[in-house]
Amino acid sequence: MQLNKRKSVDELIQSWKNDQEFKNNILHMETIKAKPAQFAPFPNDLHISIKKALVDRGIEQLYTHQRQAFDYAISGQSFTAVTPTASGKSLCYHLPVLQRILEDSSSRAIYLFPTKALAQDQKSDLNNLIESMGEEILSYTYDGDTSPAIRQKIRKAGHIVMTNPDMLHSGILPHHTKWVSLFENLKYIIIDELHTYKGVFGSHVAHVIRRLKRICEFYGSNPIFICTSATIKNPKELAEKLTNTTHQLIADSGAPVGKKTFLFYNPPIVHPTFGVRRSSVLEVRDLATNLYKAGIQTIVFAKSRVRVEMLVTYLKELTKRKIHDESIRGYRGGYLPTERRAIEKGLRDGSIQIVVSTNALELGVDIGQLQACIMTGYPGNIASAWQQAGRAGRRQDSALIIYVAGATALDQYVVNNPKYLLGSSPEEALINPENILILMEHLKCASFELPFSMTDTYGEYEVQELLAFLEEEGVLIKTSSNWHWMSDRFPAHEISLRSAAQENVVIIDWSIPGSTKVIGEMDTYSAMTLLHEEAIYLHQGLQYQVEKLDWEEKKAFVREVDVDYFTDANLAVELKVLSEDKSKFFHSATLSYGDVSLLAIPTIFKKIRFNSHENIGSGKIHIPPLEMHTNSTWLSFDLPENWSEEMLTDALTGAAYAVGSFIPLFIQCDRKDLSVVPQVKSIHNEKPTLFIYDSYPGGIGLSEKVYDILDSILVESIEHVAACACENGCPSCIGAQDNLLNGKDKVIKILSLLLDEMK
Amino acid sequence: MSYENKIMQLKKMLGGKKEKVEQKPIFKKPAHPSYLCEWMKCGLTPVENDFGIVLKREVNYPLDYKHGLYHLGAFYDAIEKWEKSNVNHPFAISFDEELLFFDTETTGLRGVGTQIFLIGLLKATDDGFRLTQYVLADPENEAALLFESKFWQKPKTILTYNGKSFDWPQLESRWVLHQKYLPKLREHRQVDLLHSTKRIWNKTMDKMKLTSVEEEKLGFKRQGDIPGFLAPIIYADAIKSGNAETLIKVLYHNEWDLLSLITLYIHSTELLMDIRLEESATTLTNVGKWYGDLKYREESEYYLQTVTDQFDNSKSGLAYFYLAFEQKRKGQYREAATSFENALSNLEIRKQIKVNEQLAIIYEHQFKLFEQAIEYTLNGLKLIENALFYNTNQKEKLKLQWEKRLHRLENKLVFPKG
Repeated sequence: MQLNKRKSVDELIQSWKNDQEFKNNILHMETIKAKPAQFAPFPNDLHISIKKALVDRGIEQLYTHQRQAFDYAISGQSFTAVTPTASGKSLCYHLPVLQRILEDSSSRAIYLFPTKALAQDQKSDLNNLIESMGEEILSYTYDGDTSPAIRQKIRKAGHIVMTNPDMLHSGILPHHTKWVSLFENLKYIIIDELHTYKGVFGSHVAHVIRRLKRICEFYGSNPIFICTSATIKNPKELAEKLTNTTHQLIADSGAPVGKKTFLFYNPPIVHPTFGVRRSSVLEVRDLATNLYKAGIQTIVFAKSRVRVEMLVTYLKELTKRKIHDESIRGYRGGYLPTERRAIEKGLRDGSIQIVVSTNALELGVDIGQLQACIMTGYPGNIASAWQQAGRAGRRQDSALIIYVAGATALDQYVVNNPKYLLGSSPEEALINPENILILMEHLKCASFELPFSMTDTYGEYEVQELLAFLEEEGVLIKTSSNWHWMSDRFPAHEISLRSAAQENVVIIDWSIPGSTKVIGEMDTYSAMTLLHEEAIYLHQGLQYQVEKLDWEEKKAFVREVDVDYFTDANLAVELKVLSEDKSKFFHSATLSYGDVSLLAIPTIFKKIRFNSHENIGSGKIHIPPLEMHTNSTWLSFDLPENWSEEMLTDALTGAAYAVGSFIPLFIQCDRKDLSVVPQVKSIHNEKPTLFIYDSYPGGIGLSEKVYDILDSILVESIEHVAACACENGCPSCIGAQDNLLNGKDKVIKILSLLLDEMK
Repeated sequence: MSYENKIMQLKKMLGGKKEKVEQKPIFKKPAHPSYLCEWMKCGLTPVENDFGIVLKREVNYPLDYKHGLYHLGAFYDAIEKWEKSNVNHPFAISFDEELLFFDTETTGLRGVGTQIFLIGLLKATDDGFRLTQYVLADPENEAALLFESKFWQKPKTILTYNGKSFDWPQLESRWVLHQKYLPKLREHRQVDLLHSTKRIWNKTMDKMKLTSVEEEKLGFKRQGDIPGFLAPIIYADAIKSGNAETLIKVLYHNEWDLLSLITLYIHSTELLMDIRLEESATTLTNVGKWYGDLKYREESEYYLQTVTDQFDNSKSGLAYFYLAFEQKRKGQYREAATSFENALSNLEIRKQIKVNEQLAIIYEHQFKLFEQAIEYTLNGLKLIENALFYNTNQKEKLKLQWEKRLHRLENKLVFPKG
């Protein structure tokens, strides 16, 4: 059959170019030329066993970045290497570490991976290398799964301990006296996947590293840091802030890159008035089908687990007539390790032709290189997008990367502005170890681990006053010269590095007695308006009614219903400015940054009939107000001439929506990490104000960044709203509108007014 | 010094790159806590050493001091019993060893933030026993406390209750923090009485807490004891307030712990050396099993047989069970089969399945009585079928095994020579 003929990537692209209908959906095509490898010879003093192991693997010389890494490490300098996918990054740290252990077998190294699974993946890789060296070097993973029987051995004799920040935080540091030989002889600390240490998690890990360094100092070691990172804007700055150590930067990779073709694909519009496009999932299904039939090995990225499952189900239609055909597989968190290993192997040996994955495969799991990659929507930041794209591209082969836009503002922006992805520099990864809540928690852990003296600092911080506070709290006591921990509490167990203070509400479907199941979760803040009792909650296109909300236990019990209305809840947000740290004054506007207190009070909800939008009932919401102190940037301005407050309310709401959507373009954070709230008459100065605040108690430094770049964000927002194909506003630009005509114009007008002020 | 030796010395210096002789850093002696006098009023004596100050309480007991059921002097009889026996039991101690009962109180349960604030030591003297308790003057004076424990001196035998996994590792952990200054901590022989208690009274007591053992086995009931979990708060309060009155109660608690270790050792030895009839069938079976695991077959059989002789079958199921394996091992198949049969109805289901299997094997291979063997196989299969503790997978696998036996037996029944 003609359809099933195998094609090369280039042939397939050619055939698409000739397909008129298809061509219309491709907004942009760009080819990046192949780049040859740049090599450097082995270092002269490279240990003979390492040389032998490399040669056995067919490696006769190093890539330039690997050689540079070796030279930095040997000269005792901490460094960060920016390494694209499949550039042999692990040799950047394996070589100096192994060399050092061969020179002095008492030497030790810690490898830190963001997850347990990654450490276990890397272990087999490293062990293969050690095996072919024929030397006695012991490397182990140390995590929750490590059997108690070998823990003792790892502590005493493990040369290389591969672990994750959580284990380091609660399993190793608070028990450092059991790890004497590790801490006395620690030469290297490897931090792989540096770019994942951002936001709240990164801020926590920055403290775990400070505690680690403090313990090393106690035992008299002074390890070198080696970080590897995907492409982000500020790798050196992030590494230095994370480790509180000066880093050299290796920015250029010597690894070869094959030819890559990018297609920017926008699903066709099926409903012009509302700007509704065909579902991106269905488009991806069709594209993947094409690739499958052409015999091209492909990875499809989807944003959620549910989408992965949907796509796998669709695509398996292709193979349902074949018995035991495993050529199409899903891959996501929640699969068992053995299953994941089998999938990874299938990808390497080619028996799996299409894998549909969440971002679980973005990280350094070894699956070899595939020929094509389809991204279902923008993964949220440029670094991730390139990580995903990097999965496609074998050495000589031409690789194909297809970006398929969804309906969200960001997705649409990216498909319309390919330069953003291809040309602009990637986002910054921000951490904020100064967050006082995070700092205090780790200061407790640090006090538990080693007493502070009356003159000690902690990391780069002066902490004597904070220690005095902990004494008042009753966990420290002050003796003649030190602050000692004096409590039977175990502070490391009181902090989780991953979850920010906010808990999630679990959504439980109890429609079928005896087989209740969890169908989703939601952050507490959103839950106030979406999961109150009697709310209609939409999930996978089905309607559920919330029958019971257990706010204490953070559980919402829902039952499937079929009704002709939806619910809309009001949330009154009170924002009080506590302190103003920075300000810029313009003609009739002021931009400020500082601490705010936020009080969210759910009030009432309305039941609104579909289509007619008539109000058919309402009720009170019984959820206690949520209070939070955080950082915020805010822009206050005078009510423009000829604007009523009512007009401004709607326009500001739309403007907040548009601005909020674009922040992740500039700062590497999740959409949820920052909130944008308009106030027509704010409490502190009675002026119209747009607040942009960190959604995490204490703040994580995001809104401070916004303070510096708000004008650029406004420029992008205006351009995007103006260019959106809809008539009166849609979820892709200013949010769904139900009664407002010329809403878009007003939003653009108010944003332009603000932008003019700031110029 | 011989020529070779000199050369060897020189060689050491050659490779001396790594082995820099590290100068011990100079220790700065901490100040005395301000409440020292207050604490002394509560009966504590200050002891000053190179590392600071530590507070001491000492109590002497004569040999005829009675704690619960026993005089402390009976401890010597216990050692003598071990000396006279030819059993090399891990619980045994001899007169050659320097013995020390050891128990600590700590400010928490785990991690480097947990400190030892009380070290209690109890040892034999010429005319009795002496308790010495060292109290941490304040966290600053920790090295002084550790040093005074003398655990850096010659090797001893240390008797504890859960010391192997708690007190000793805690001490090691604290020692590490002061390793720059303190002499090296020695290795000592550890005899953990929690271990022996678990072996001896397994399944006869709900809790293996020392206070429960005291009440149920050692005839001692504490009056006015403070519960152990309060100790951290009491200590913290004593250094914050400077008042040690309540802290003294923690010292009494520790004293009772140590005294009970002596009588627990005496009592356990008697049980391991003589049959004490007032003990339950389960206890005696436990002891027999322990001897069996240590490969002391004679002693094992003696205990197990005592159970089967003196208790009715409903209580001696387990004893028959272990005895049967002993007998089978010695080739006494008749006796083994009888023991297994006696055990059968008085065991938990898992062991019943095992017994049916054993009986099927003996009847098939030793007695060649296939009909009986089939009967036991069918019994076993039925038990497996009704068992609740297997998952489907395990169950299927087991059934397959047993059905194979059944087929083989049925074949043998029809074709005895085949």
